[in-house]
Amino acid sequence: MTNPVGIVLVSHSAELAAGLRLLVEQIGSDTVPLAVAGGTDDGRIGTSYDLVLTAIRHADRGAGVVVLPDLGSSVLTARTVLEDHPRPDVTIVDAPFVEGAVAAVVTAASGADLKTVADAAKEARNVSKL
Amino acid sequence: MCPSSDAATTNPAIHERVVILPANLHARPAGQLARAASGFASAIRLEHSGRTVNPTGVLAVMGLGATVGTTVTVRAEGPDAEQAVTALADILANAE
Repeated sequence: MTNPVGIVLVSHSAELAAGLRLLVEQIGSDTVPLAVAGGTDDGRIGTSYDLVLTAIRHADRGAGVVVLPDLGSSVLTARTVLEDHPRPDVTIVDAPFVEGAVAAVVTAASGADLKTVADAAKEARNVSKL
Repeated sequence: MCPSSDAATTNPAIHERVVILPANLHARPAGQLARAASGFASAIRLEHSGRTVNPTGVLAVMGLGATVGTTVTVRAEGPDAEQAVTALADILANAE
């Protein structure tokens, strides 16, 4: 059996990314390779090119990586990293941060491929909460 | 070769079970249901209060808003329908 698709959570806040990681590990699975890139290199609110790049490498187990940014410069930083290091099996996904992460991790835990995991995160936008 | 057993395994069966929830259907059991459901070949549906969702969608399961004491119907059609219904009904029946 192949390894699960990896997930990278990119947030302005290290605490937000770390908290979301705990949440998705409880709801989804702690067997999915999951890496976080939260805050700046020196721990402030913001984003870090190097943390995103490192997180992608940590989450990569050969089945591809889905990168989920929270908003704003997380998106810009993640896109810049992917433009500088283009790979067909690493993809940034436009999804609600919490819901997209939950859907992606649960789907990855089932052994789904990169496209299926990315689609599950995207579709999170259309799932009604109420 | 045994044609009768082939027929039994390839003929799609429909199974169904109704569960009264012992607890609200919150995030953790929803995740368990989604992961379990993805392991079966059968088409599985959860029905609650007139709404039907595919349990492989963890967010859709949470979106049912099913609360303690209400019923959820698990329905599956396919080669492993019985096992699928048993597995998902067990998760629902043991949700905390």
